[in-house]
Amino acid sequence: MTSIPISPASAAPAVTVRRQTTSGRIALTLFAIAILALALMPWWAKTGTIRMVLELCCYIAVAQMWNMLAGYAGLVSVGQQAFMGAAGYAMFVLAQTFGVNPFLAIALSLVVPAVLAVPCYFLLHRLDGPYFAIGTWVVAEVFRLVSTNLGWVNAGAGMSLTVMKDYSAFQRNIAMSLLCAVMILLTIGGSYWFLRSRYGLALIAMRDNPVAAASQGVNVKRLRFMIYVAAAVGCGLAGSVYFMAQLRINPASAFDPMWSNLAIFIVMVGGIASIEGVLIGTAIYFVADRWFGAYGASYFVVLGVMTVLVALYARTGIWGLVSRRWDAPWFPIRRHLILKTEEKP
Amino acid sequence: MTAVLSTHGLIARYGDFQALYGVDIDLAEGEAVALIGANGAGKSTFLRAVMGLLRVAPDMVRLKGQPIGGMATDRMVQMGISIVPEGRRLFTGMSVEDNLRVAVDQAQRMGRKGGWSLARLQALFPILKDKARTPVESLSGGQQQMVAIGRALLCQPSVLLCDEISLGLAPKVIREIYAALPEIRAQGTAVMLVEQDVGLAQSASDRLYCMLEGRVTLSGRSAEVTRDQIGAAYFGGSHAVV
Repeated sequence: MTSIPISPASAAPAVTVRRQTTSGRIALTLFAIAILALALMPWWAKTGTIRMVLELCCYIAVAQMWNMLAGYAGLVSVGQQAFMGAAGYAMFVLAQTFGVNPFLAIALSLVVPAVLAVPCYFLLHRLDGPYFAIGTWVVAEVFRLVSTNLGWVNAGAGMSLTVMKDYSAFQRNIAMSLLCAVMILLTIGGSYWFLRSRYGLALIAMRDNPVAAASQGVNVKRLRFMIYVAAAVGCGLAGSVYFMAQLRINPASAFDPMWSNLAIFIVMVGGIASIEGVLIGTAIYFVADRWFGAYGASYFVVLGVMTVLVALYARTGIWGLVSRRWDAPWFPIRRHLILKTEEKP
Repeated sequence: MTAVLSTHGLIARYGDFQALYGVDIDLAEGEAVALIGANGAGKSTFLRAVMGLLRVAPDMVRLKGQPIGGMATDRMVQMGISIVPEGRRLFTGMSVEDNLRVAVDQAQRMGRKGGWSLARLQALFPILKDKARTPVESLSGGQQQMVAIGRALLCQPSVLLCDEISLGLAPKVIREIYAALPEIRAQGTAVMLVEQDVGLAQSASDRLYCMLEGRVTLSGRSAEVTRDQIGAAYFGGSHAVV
């Protein structure tokens, strides 16, 4: 994957494209080790640690989905919790009401956000900027109100996942660990793969200037639609996994706007439009949440102020400041043309 | 000569305001055609209408005889029309090379083949190689214009629309950019130059059209059209000019 030969045009010098960097190779190795470590958690971590890591993985997944939406597709959503809750509920109904194996139910539950995202997008796609954001929030609230009034999901009282008692604690730990690994692989690994594909630059171009991107042949409408549906599924996966670990779901928790708040905080502070930023932002949020969560409302004020300050004075976030100083991306998506006769810089 | 791109009674509106009143313009393969006219004459509107950025009837714009009017902009690019937009509209925050790669990627995705490669473009405008990793926003205006032209060429167009590429540039830089024109045309690409500078437009094109208030007021071979004719077409019939 390091170099792709390009057939030289008439009289043009032979060139190769360099895509990977040293820092990228190190990061990719670490990423593979991390995925493996996640999958093997039951053998090295306590149940409490696994639950904590699972929460962390959900934050990463949701934040990365928001990053793809806002950082690349230019779709600022504050309603991704709609799809988390919808998938969570779907999983509970399949497993609890219909007796489907809960781990199979997680996979099946992903169909729900995918299907729901299509009509939602057709309602929302004509809205621009802040209007789009408000629209997504409205959609999430509608989902919450509907679930509050649906008898077969036990309305406002919510549901419990009692079928999980059929599995031993160790079996559940294995499942949680594997789900964490799959979730990170799909959201982070999947995003990275997508950004390195020929859609990657098109996506960045589109965020920058949709009209100019269309003038270069980028199918802006279709790309946005694809990202929206993919982000809905990604958030749905995080929702299913999160609520399976919680063993309970109710409308207030399923469609909690807190998820959007934390995604915005993580991405803005960590560094928008970068996978590195999501990882950094999640680490900061997670530590802050453990240390200062007890302060309640005033803690949220501090998080909010931090987000605003970053948005005003360091729009590229922490990763932006770091990468300005050291050009060592963990997930490089740029490509460089190198003449065969030249030394690699 | 058969036309690659032609418009037939092209009408375009911004809401209730009609900006084009039946414009007939055609370009042949490898031909350079200039479109001149005062501010507000409808030159940029014409390009927007052709590119599908304004709503027009299918039959009003034809590519090799096929009706394409009002199609999505990315489809236009797929079929072989590229634009160098006014004000360049580069993707800021990206390096020069990445800006160009957007076009390379899309051309590849759409299966458009042609004679332009990054390496060949860098031979045409060497500065694009020296500054390959520089963020585009730190380039000079002329260099940015070269990126914009390069980006359009890498879409492998059969028709290249240039919207005021000399705007705000030093005469020396303008000459440099216009010097690239013969090589572009040698590829068989038809070029439309929308220009404010009448002299430049006349010398760089085979034919020219002059627009006024949404209509074509003059058309002919650039070498044969006189300054008086242009003056009359530019400002309206009754003025005797220049």
